Amino acid sequence: MDGNEVVISMKQLSKVFTKDRRQIKALEGFDLDVKEGEFVCLLGPSGCGKTTILRIVAGLETATGGDITVRGNKPGVAGQARGMVFQEFALFPWRTVRKNIEFGLEIKGVPEAEMQKMSSQLVDLVGLKGFENAHPKELSGGMKQRVGIARALANNPKVLLMDEPFGSLDAQTRNLMQKELLRIWAATNKTILFVTHSVDEAVFLADRIVIMTARPGKVREIIEVDLPRPRDRTSQEFIKVRGKVLTELDEEFEKARAKELSPE
Amino acid sequence: MMTGVAMESKIIIAIAVAAVVVVGVVAAAVVLMSGGEGGSVKYITLAPKDMKANLASGQIDAYIAWEPFVSDSVVGDVGEVLMWSDEIMDDHPCCVVAVRTGFLSETSVNGTDLTNRFVRAHVDATEWMLDALADEAGANYTKLVEMAVQFTARNESVVKAAFVHIQFGYEMGSDFEEALKKFTDMYIDTNMTTEEKLDERGYESVSDFVSSYVDDFYLATAPNVAESATILNPDRPIKLGYLLGDLHQLAQFVAQDKTVLGTDKSMFEKYGLKVEAAVGAPFANGGAEMGGFAAGNVDIGYLGAPPTILQHLNAGIGTKIVAQANSEGSGLVVSAGSGITSLSDLENKTVATPGESSIQFLLLKIALEREGLDLEIKT
Amino acid sequence: MQILRDDSIGILGRVTGLLGSWRRLFLGAASLAVFIALWSLYSAWLHGDWPFAYRSWSQPAEYIPYPSEVLYAFVDSFTHRDPFTSLYMTSHIYASLKRMFFGFVLAFLVAVPLGLLMGRSANAEAIGKPLVELFRPIPPLAWVPIFLIALKLFWGPIAIVFLGIFFPILLNVMFGAKSVDPVLIDAARTLGAKRRDIFTKVVLPFTIPYMMTGIKVGIGVGWMCIVAAEMLGAVGGGVGLFIYNMAYQGTMYDRMYAGMLVIGLLSVLTTGAAGFLEQRLSRWMGMK
Repeated sequence: MDGNEVVISMKQLSKVFTKDRRQIKALEGFDLDVKEGEFVCLLGPSGCGKTTILRIVAGLETATGGDITVRGNKPGVAGQARGMVFQEFALFPWRTVRKNIEFGLEIKGVPEAEMQKMSSQLVDLVGLKGFENAHPKELSGGMKQRVGIARALANNPKVLLMDEPFGSLDAQTRNLMQKELLRIWAATNKTILFVTHSVDEAVFLADRIVIMTARPGKVREIIEVDLPRPRDRTSQEFIKVRGKVLTELDEEFEKARAKELSPE
Repeated sequence: MMTGVAMESKIIIAIAVAAVVVVGVVAAAVVLMSGGEGGSVKYITLAPKDMKANLASGQIDAYIAWEPFVSDSVVGDVGEVLMWSDEIMDDHPCCVVAVRTGFLSETSVNGTDLTNRFVRAHVDATEWMLDALADEAGANYTKLVEMAVQFTARNESVVKAAFVHIQFGYEMGSDFEEALKKFTDMYIDTNMTTEEKLDERGYESVSDFVSSYVDDFYLATAPNVAESATILNPDRPIKLGYLLGDLHQLAQFVAQDKTVLGTDKSMFEKYGLKVEAAVGAPFANGGAEMGGFAAGNVDIGYLGAPPTILQHLNAGIGTKIVAQANSEGSGLVVSAGSGITSLSDLENKTVATPGESSIQFLLLKIALEREGLDLEIKT
Repeated sequence: MQILRDDSIGILGRVTGLLGSWRRLFLGAASLAVFIALWSLYSAWLHGDWPFAYRSWSQPAEYIPYPSEVLYAFVDSFTHRDPFTSLYMTSHIYASLKRMFFGFVLAFLVAVPLGLLMGRSANAEAIGKPLVELFRPIPPLAWVPIFLIALKLFWGPIAIVFLGIFFPILLNVMFGAKSVDPVLIDAARTLGAKRRDIFTKVVLPFTIPYMMTGIKVGIGVGWMCIVAAEMLGAVGGGVGLFIYNMAYQGTMYDRMYAGMLVIGLLSVLTTGAAGFLEQRLSRWMGMK
């Protein structure tokens, strides 16, 4: 497979929301190509439209301007070409771990035996063996998100969209889950578009970090992270990249704050 | 656990299927079972005002009620009278005038005197009605019909037809007491009241009860009541109870009318009485009016004999019967064109009654027993 | 999780925990006992019995019979035919339960789809809401004569009970369907779910606990309507008819209270069964 194939292509993407008769520009002129197998992090001040981009790629929202294709298709018809992982886990509380993972397969109409085989593999992959018949309520946050990841992978999507997936986990679990995600990524060769607030997380995970401007969001800077994996958070190189990202981001934060203070 | 189709849809489908099956089976069973048994007449309880509509809809085959609800169906061509109540029991009691014993001993006014005067006005009103009814060409007859139309909210022809079968009267003769004894015996037979209750109220027997519960002192002294130029109870009006549109109780309506006497006074005013409708009046039924007596909201009231007997005995509500209002005036109505021409034709048919303690129910039961038929609740 | 919690509270905690459930039982029993004691005292006051020296009020004592008299009337209603309808209490209970059952099944079958529709479609809500708000507050008693004539003797009384059960289920299902977490629907969509899948696999199961709450409340309201449903034209009797007759025809208040006791017990039993089902269902569904 050609490692340089563009999987997600976004050109001059814009999105305007109408709320209480007021128009809010969330995105304006956003350009980004994500290549096959790449791990891209979106980073930016709150409200810069990071999540909106993920939702547009997922087909949950439609862009109001510009072009977007996912593997050459409009996102709306991409169907099961992408899986999404949510910060709130979004597990179905009445379904067991296995049944949550099998949700997409059920809809596709995969035969029972095959479905069982696939979900067992995914349970193994995300490290949930022994919890197949537990309900979400009985799981810790980290375990819930393992289910979330497995469920998104079940349809075997090319692209995995992750919206601050570890945002509500404690620091230790978060570090562990980051390592786990890298392991799963390596094992599955997915293309990952990952939204985060954490500079540390972005530097630890990403091939490329896309720093966005304050609203309306567009690309401010793309930083390539060339560090070999597993990355050492205490290494000089790591700290250097982190510093660079932070400087860029701080400027955007300042701009965002200034904008908030001035009347629109 | 569940596989394939998600369990949630299975739950819903299972519940829905089960529900539909059960409803279907039971409904079918109900339809098949009804009409299977034999040997008795079935009854249900309905408010008399609803009986005509239920007869018309085919819901019931017959009903027994008081006027004007009998003539209402007849004039409307919905029903035919199979039997008038006087054919079952001649001159049977119906509505009475009852007084609260607490009112008789009232201290702010002379309760006994006021009751005496009230009974006198009732007598005068009843006499006036009887005179009016005797001459259908007379002006008073027209006036009476007008008042009846106003009171019952029924049209003229219904009211005129109803008058034929109501026997207005105030006297409480020995027949009256005998009939009340028979009713009380029937209540004891069916456990609606008991010998112990008689005993609790201080009566030795049914006849002891009836002779002291029916107090003819006021009727006997009524002729001695003098007119009064002034109102004797301006601050403490008599609180009058009566039933909604019950033609049997027309006397109180006549006694309140200011035009009947040709002076500008009503009969109540002629004898110095201020009379007001009690809180809750007009009552829906005698049971409710007895509740008014119990609460002290009603001083003097018109109502059927059974509720006053039963509730006096069972609940100890302090009342007395001081005059009769009417006798007869009920009828057994069958659906027009139903082909029911005798009581025995009613076997397995559904008859509506105003309730098991009503005179109408007792009369129907008496009539059916003579034919060897039972009266049973419809199942 | 369970083990962890037990360890953290220790032996002492477990003992007081046990006491806790006993305490609840004790407090429940105590409140009933106090109620019955006050009732007895009030009756004694009305009757002028010990500890009161004389009858202190003119209100007839029959209105508040002693608890023992009510208990006697309660037992008597099962062993003797009642004076009005000549039926045993078991027949009355059977007749009432049958009405409740049909009313419930109908209310369930109509209210659940309607509630789902109104909860998920703004148009359906806009159409249905004014009607619901208009008809909901009308006391079922008001419909009695109309239902009896229009729906006849079998379905008329059932329709009264139906009204009582219908609205709580409808409103709860509607509320449940409205409060489906949007992120669950997003998740389902990213997993390829179409409208129908979202409805059957997300909205419906999400609504089930709300539906169960509606059922529990509805059954309670249904019992509240039983006297209205059965006071007229009650074919085959009914506990509501029993109460009505005792109250209005016979003024046999001990029996009337006995009938009320029967309704109370039936309501406790049926809503208890619904509550049990709710718990089992939510545990089975992993919601609790």
